[in-house]
Amino acid sequence: MAGLFGSLSIALSGLSISQEEMATTSNNVANANTPGYSREVTDIAAGAPINEGTLSYGTGVVLQKIASLRDPMLLIQINQTTQQNSSLNSSMTQLQQIQTQFASSTSGIGADISNFFNALQQLSPDPGDLTLRQAVLTAANTLATDFNTTAKSLQTQSSNIDQNVVATVSQVNSLTSEIASVDQQISVLQNGNPNADTGTLVDSQNNLIQQLSALVDVQVIPTGQGITVATSNGTALVSGSQSFALTTQLDNGVQHIFAGADDISSSLTGGTLAGLIQVRDQEIPSIGGSLDQLAAGLANGLNAANAKGFDLNGAAGGNIFAPPPVSGVGAAATLTVSMTNPALIAASSDGTTGNNGNLANLSAIADTALANGQTPIDSYASVVSQIGSDTANTSADADASNSILQQLQDENGSVSGVSLDEEASNLIQYQTAYQSAAKVVSAINLLLLDAVNLGMDAAEE
Amino acid sequence: MRVNPNPLPDLLAALNQTQLEAQEAALQISTGKSVNEPSDNPTAAGLLVENNDQATFNSGYLQSIGAVQGQLSTANSTLSSVTSALQQAISLGVEGANGTVSASDRAAIVIQLQGIQSQLVTLANTTYEGNYVFGGSITNTAPYVVDATSPSGVDYVGNSDVNEVSIGNGYKLAVNQPGSQLFSASGNDVFLAVNNLITALQTNSGISTAVNAVTSASSYLSAQAVFYGNATDQTQSQTTYLNAAQLQISEQQNTLGGVDLATAASDLEQSNTDTQAALAAISKFSQNNLFNYLQ
Repeated sequence: MAGLFGSLSIALSGLSISQEEMATTSNNVANANTPGYSREVTDIAAGAPINEGTLSYGTGVVLQKIASLRDPMLLIQINQTTQQNSSLNSSMTQLQQIQTQFASSTSGIGADISNFFNALQQLSPDPGDLTLRQAVLTAANTLATDFNTTAKSLQTQSSNIDQNVVATVSQVNSLTSEIASVDQQISVLQNGNPNADTGTLVDSQNNLIQQLSALVDVQVIPTGQGITVATSNGTALVSGSQSFALTTQLDNGVQHIFAGADDISSSLTGGTLAGLIQVRDQEIPSIGGSLDQLAAGLANGLNAANAKGFDLNGAAGGNIFAPPPVSGVGAAATLTVSMTNPALIAASSDGTTGNNGNLANLSAIADTALANGQTPIDSYASVVSQIGSDTANTSADADASNSILQQLQDENGSVSGVSLDEEASNLIQYQTAYQSAAKVVSAINLLLLDAVNLGMDAAEE
Repeated sequence: MRVNPNPLPDLLAALNQTQLEAQEAALQISTGKSVNEPSDNPTAAGLLVENNDQATFNSGYLQSIGAVQGQLSTANSTLSSVTSALQQAISLGVEGANGTVSASDRAAIVIQLQGIQSQLVTLANTTYEGNYVFGGSITNTAPYVVDATSPSGVDYVGNSDVNEVSIGNGYKLAVNQPGSQLFSASGNDVFLAVNNLITALQTNSGISTAVNAVTSASSYLSAQAVFYGNATDQTQSQTTYLNAAQLQISEQQNTLGGVDLATAASDLEQSNTDTQAALAAISKFSQNNLFNYLQ
């Protein structure tokens, strides 16, 4: 049967649970703005009853555990979306910088090509005129300079990306080592006591994994002991309490990322690193290649056309441009006008001063298809459209993934976010429960006093 | 369903978006362009490059036409002077052919004809901006050199090149006629005819035949001179065409990359309103919660 002391201990269990609950509430309130924090709830249950014959007596309330509320599937989705989102955003930032080079239709390489052929056209009514000839060379020089500037700015962009890659890899390494050290703390706590509250540690680990997801594509595999964090091609970055650092190494002029001895640069599919590498290894070489092809095509075509005619001295025409590299690689960056004397433009087809027959051959290069099957100006227009549509597509994809991420984070907030209203209402509840339990204690105290006093009165009589 | 207790990130993202839209609209208004970066409209950005190319070419053609027209008009007016000089020579020849003319009168006519002869040489050596107009492609040397030993009294040292200048896409206009075709054409050599007339007057024989030869050379020359009139006409109609084409290109440019100010202004207005709304939402976001009511 239950006695007064039994009731007292039941009331005390109520008091202590209410305290625990209020502690949880105050922890939630304190962490309302902590990034990655998942709200905690107390999991309480009625104490195991004591059975006496057919009667069953309650033994108060016990705290089962303090649980963090989170949806692991949602967190995985957030990580995956974050990987995609950061990759798109980092690509977009780079592409937007690149496309400014190609923004104007009335200046830059495109307009230079038009202006150069226009200068040739102006020479045709008066092919012997040195001023008009000089204008052709000036236009050629402007064209070459703009090719050089544009190609070099692409190179600069590529080396900026490289610096970014190195810095990002070092961020990845510091995050993976933090994740491993948190994992170590979690396993220590769990080994000692399986019910130990590792909630906030898991939160901070999740938060670190989410930060890591912004940099590189990772998947988290829970194992019996701790977690394994691996890149999507299976390279382990964290295994339990151990982390494996990525390294960077110059290869073919750009920074490659190595996990141990494996070059994982091209297998990355998400995070800032993938976005940077995509622009550096795909977009920039593709634009650079088109510019090289254009520069080499123009230089070779114009040189060959000039060689068909005769200059102002009646000699066979020489090169206008220094011959570009045979492979074409680097043609845009190194394009130079080697002709310095305007009299050497071979306008004439028979060696006489006033003949303009060979200008037609030179002008015809404007309408001659290059290696890619397009005329020079159409080639350039294609480059502009290409970079424009790549930027626009990436930007649209990034916008879409921003919305998805935002939505997922909203959902996560609705599961794990701390609501102050909720906490206040809980607080009222716990306060009331505490006050009630305290009243019960006080009542039992009075009863006990009565019982004790009863004995004392009997002795006095 | 439990709601996300912290909607501020959403509100901030919305604010960011409306501010971005406002910036975009303001940029369009300030530049007057809807395509400020290739990504604004990739297709239009590529077309604008080609459009600018065509505009450059067209204005280049117009500029060339200007240069060509000067040359054509110089040649044309020179040929008019040549024709009237030849008319004068014919009148003098007809006068000299008259049997009543005395030997001394004939000698005076010969002197006048010799004046015309040297005038013709000067005209045939006309230059335009320093270039000899009738020497074919040899433009830096006078095409006609006086040579007393030559039957025509002159030597042609030019060539028979004809230059063509593009005045449109694939439209090439021949812009000169060499002296060999105008003045020294075989059978209609102007200099030979005039020189023969002088000789005929000096010898007082075959004057009428010589006059006829000059007449024939003169009409041949006039027929050839039509070339310059035609070329000038072609440049004029091409100028009209090119100006219309330029107008069309600039309209196209406007369609492709121009900004519709009314739309852009209303976009700006709209995004400013949206920004205000987002700001108001953030500032009014409930700073109240149940804790405020706990005593």
